[in-house]
Amino acid sequence: MLWYKGWLETRFKLLFGCGFIVFFFVSMSSIGVRGPAGLKAFVATAVICVAMLSILLPGAGIATQPSFQATKGLHGSMLFTLSLPVSRLRLVAVRAAIGWLELAAGIGALCCGMWFMFPVLRAGSTPKLMLLHLLVQLVCASALYFVGVFLTTFLDDQLRSWCSMILFGTLGWLSKRTPKVDALDILRALHENSPLLSGAVPWLTVAFSCAVVAIAFIGAVKIAQWREY
Amino acid sequence: MRDFVIETTQLTKSYKGRPALRGLNLEVGRGQIFGFLGRNGAGKTTTIKTLIGLLKADSGTASVFGIPVTDADRSVKIRRRIGFVTEDKELYPYMTVEQILRFTRPFFPNWREDLEKRYLEIFDLPPKRKIPDLSKGMRSKLMLLLAISRGAELLILDEPTDGLDPAAIEDVLHELVALAEAEGTTMFFSSHLLSEVEMIADHIGIIDQGRMVVSDSLKDIKARYRRLRVVLEDPVELPTRWASCVEYVRREGKVVSMLVNGNVEEIIQQMQSMPGTTVESFPVTLKDIFLEQVRGK
Repeated sequence: MLWYKGWLETRFKLLFGCGFIVFFFVSMSSIGVRGPAGLKAFVATAVICVAMLSILLPGAGIATQPSFQATKGLHGSMLFTLSLPVSRLRLVAVRAAIGWLELAAGIGALCCGMWFMFPVLRAGSTPKLMLLHLLVQLVCASALYFVGVFLTTFLDDQLRSWCSMILFGTLGWLSKRTPKVDALDILRALHENSPLLSGAVPWLTVAFSCAVVAIAFIGAVKIAQWREY
Repeated sequence: MRDFVIETTQLTKSYKGRPALRGLNLEVGRGQIFGFLGRNGAGKTTTIKTLIGLLKADSGTASVFGIPVTDADRSVKIRRRIGFVTEDKELYPYMTVEQILRFTRPFFPNWREDLEKRYLEIFDLPPKRKIPDLSKGMRSKLMLLLAISRGAELLILDEPTDGLDPAAIEDVLHELVALAEAEGTTMFFSSHLLSEVEMIADHIGIIDQGRMVVSDSLKDIKARYRRLRVVLEDPVELPTRWASCVEYVRREGKVVSMLVNGNVEEIIQQMQSMPGTTVESFPVTLKDIFLEQVRGK
């Protein structure tokens, strides 16, 4: 039933994310995507949708309410959750898994929409490259998503969203201002270095993202287990 | 050896160096209705959170059903056998009454559908209503319903009647006593309302500054404590030192009020030995005992 709780917690966020993707498609259709420069801008803009989903969907299933939503005290429904006969590992894992599945569904819908709605993409690429692009998007977005999961173990949902946004902003700034370290540049792997535009999989960034996912998830579980509530 | 459902020994807990529990010894026997009393900040919620596994004690031991609460894996087994009403009565704002029941039910293998139906009706909870739309009293009732329906062997209730009107408090307390009698459920509950504790508890624990200062059956406590009203005929000097059973002595002119904990006859005789003195003995309320214990001797 933790899946049910997780779904109720995230369904409107997912809906908002999907709404944003639809808005993106409508905007891009009306603007029109032409030539290699247009394609590059199109893929770069799609990153905003991925970022939006990565910011909206993380959660650790414990501190799900900001303090101002609680009618008394600061913990909201957290004490009720923690009084259930469930280990903290399961609480974190189930909620993280639900958000991740929704993230995957959102990215899947985004990539499918891009492929089927924009002929320019099909003309300049192959289904294999599109699938690889989808894979890279998913892995790199997962790194950003699991950092959000990690933050949720000690911040409430609202505060965590702001922190995730600041993190994205900082990564974007670093990506532009600092010397290029492609292997560590997750944001660039989502557009400029993606298989769709570069024709190759940024394996080092994929490996780095996988490491971030593992570290962030293990860190989230350890914090949830160690913390007092 | 007695079968204790809750047992703590020399339990200590500090928050940033500020002690909340200072060697708490607590024993709650099976089937007891244990009223846990104390002022704000005395350590009641810290004790409860430690028993549930939300806080880790600095030292000492605590066990529920004989299982140490410090063992995170086995703590899950403890929570499967207890019902818990939190102090703040907060539940998921995105669920309705019906949804939270559907959500909670599968976690508890001993879930009692009969009790769920019964209390849903008694507490008059609208199944389709969203939790934020419930009044505070209704949320308290919903939390009680969720705790009771777990089929728990132990109910840990932190201010269970908070937000209820007097009639609803009466009904809820009546139902809790009925449940304890019918199911043999052990209840450990904290409350500020001494009258309600006195109404249903058979055992009392008073915690003050993180230590248990009184822990006994309510019947024994009431039998042991007496208030003495002593009227002195002549202005006599009272002793400066009293036996340890004398909890307090207050003098206003010729009238002396005393609270005595045990050895009542001995103290009465001592007072009567003063010339022209009349001594009357009265039973005491839980409030008298509580106030005396927490205000300091």
